[in-house]
Amino acid sequence: MKSLPMRLAGLAATGFTWLLVLAVTFPLLWMLGTAFKRPTELFAKPPTFFPHAPTLQNFVDVLEQTKFTIYATNSLIVATVTTLFVLVVATLGAHAMVSFKLMGRHVVARALLLCYMLPTTAVLIPIYLMIAGLGLANSLSGLIVAYTSLTLPFALWLMRAFFAGIPPEIEAAALIDGASRLRAFVDVVLPQALPGIVTTGVFSFLICWNEYLYSLVMINDDRTRTLPTGIMGTLVNGYAIEWGMVMAAATMMSVPLLLVFLFLQRYVVQGFGAGAVKG
Amino acid sequence: MLPSTLRDQALGYALLAPSLLLLGGLLGWPLIQAVLLSFYDMHPLTRRVIYVGLENYTDIFEDDMFWRAFANNFVWLAGSLFLQIGGGVVVALLLNRTFIGRGIARSLILFPYLMPVLVAALVWRWMLDDIHGIVNYAWIGMGLKRIDWLSTMPNAMVTVIVVGSWRVFPFVVIAVLARLQSIPQQLYEAAEVDGASRWSQFWDVTMPQIANVLSVIVLLRAIWDFREFDLIFLMTGGGPVIGTTTLPLLVYKEAFELFKMGKALAIAVVMMLCMLVLIAAYLRSVRNAPASEEIR
Repeated sequence: MKSLPMRLAGLAATGFTWLLVLAVTFPLLWMLGTAFKRPTELFAKPPTFFPHAPTLQNFVDVLEQTKFTIYATNSLIVATVTTLFVLVVATLGAHAMVSFKLMGRHVVARALLLCYMLPTTAVLIPIYLMIAGLGLANSLSGLIVAYTSLTLPFALWLMRAFFAGIPPEIEAAALIDGASRLRAFVDVVLPQALPGIVTTGVFSFLICWNEYLYSLVMINDDRTRTLPTGIMGTLVNGYAIEWGMVMAAATMMSVPLLLVFLFLQRYVVQGFGAGAVKG
Repeated sequence: MLPSTLRDQALGYALLAPSLLLLGGLLGWPLIQAVLLSFYDMHPLTRRVIYVGLENYTDIFEDDMFWRAFANNFVWLAGSLFLQIGGGVVVALLLNRTFIGRGIARSLILFPYLMPVLVAALVWRWMLDDIHGIVNYAWIGMGLKRIDWLSTMPNAMVTVIVVGSWRVFPFVVIAVLARLQSIPQQLYEAAEVDGASRWSQFWDVTMPQIANVLSVIVLLRAIWDFREFDLIFLMTGGGPVIGTTTLPLLVYKEAFELFKMGKALAIAVVMMLCMLVLIAAYLRSVRNAPASEEIR
């Protein structure tokens, strides 16, 4: 049994921990609160935490007065296509790196790590020139190419860690039973790797969904703009910023994140465990 | 490991080929091009290039803007590393205790890290608004003077560092927490028997156990934060004037606002050389701490 002072100290530490956690998540709550406030309440002194008269007006305004739906559709297309493409390529690649005794695999692994750590700004200009040269500036295909360069090293690195965690005996047993290497891969290895593939997919999607710099540099057309540059360009220009609308747009942009939290949290935590989460 | 035949080698490389081609075409080749083109001048419209030797490099080394951005980059890096590592370790220690709602607390703490960077930047800009922001309201409520958080120096740099650290410290928390959970409980029991205080338990038991992992985390975060563009650009645009312009922002400005591709690439190359030092240090520290494999 712990002594009374010890227990009081423990209680204080718990209180302090929760205070910190709430402080860290406060901006998120403040965003939600602001998004549902009427313009008059926005500037109320003292500020209110919960909206007195919650309204959806800000959301309606964003959807009606800006091209939010177009931007969101573009973001969705680019993030989905890139993620699916990268997942296929990286699954094959990671499997080859882990379970084939390839000559030169250490060189490949080292090169991959370098790619993974390379700053975007270093290759931004050549990639921009390349995509513009192909006539893909201002197009979603151009963005998909750029986002592939961004997510592929990360996906390979993360998947390699997941594939390495699958016991090699499983595949060996299937091969001894007479399965071909490809059959063994599809029937035995792939199901084992599925959680890792989902995790990698979630993170690739979020990276593309959040990406700002390439979209800023490559897209100069309202029809192909993605959410980050679209919101920034239409709602956060000039001095009179409508914060209610901005926070409503930000809330809608955070929806994928909330979905991930509700349904795929297990995979997110796994992603942190397997490491490589790009910041 | 399975026995490897020539056929296996061929099949393996066939599976790896798409990855290698894409990495080579979308990263390897652009990287080489970045270095090559840094010795050229490029016409903004025709994209025609003229060889100028080291001129781009002598240009940037004589440019005060470059040195200012260089210094800013290190201030930003040092400040945000200090805050996020310190804060991350403290929060990891707190979350490692058993307490009510620990699972929820551990999930909530991840939010800043997974929030879209645009959303994070916008929420903070709203909270930091000079006149209507909640931060100044609380600040003045404490009897202090109204502050321009983002439009004067050094405030802007400090603010960007704080917000940047807030955004990424969950990474440190999770990585440290994973290591803390694997420290054998007996070590603490033994220390308690020896009459060690909580404080000395931290320094003599916990710290040596997490030191290796911590050095890997510091270098990894340094590599990632050194090149940060989005958050700083979205919070301040590099301002006031050039107060928070770091090297990645300068690369962007030279290339896409002033259309000096050659000069921008020279800056990018110098930036990459700085990062190579960090990456080399990282590879060394990973080799020295095999246990940290899982957080790479």
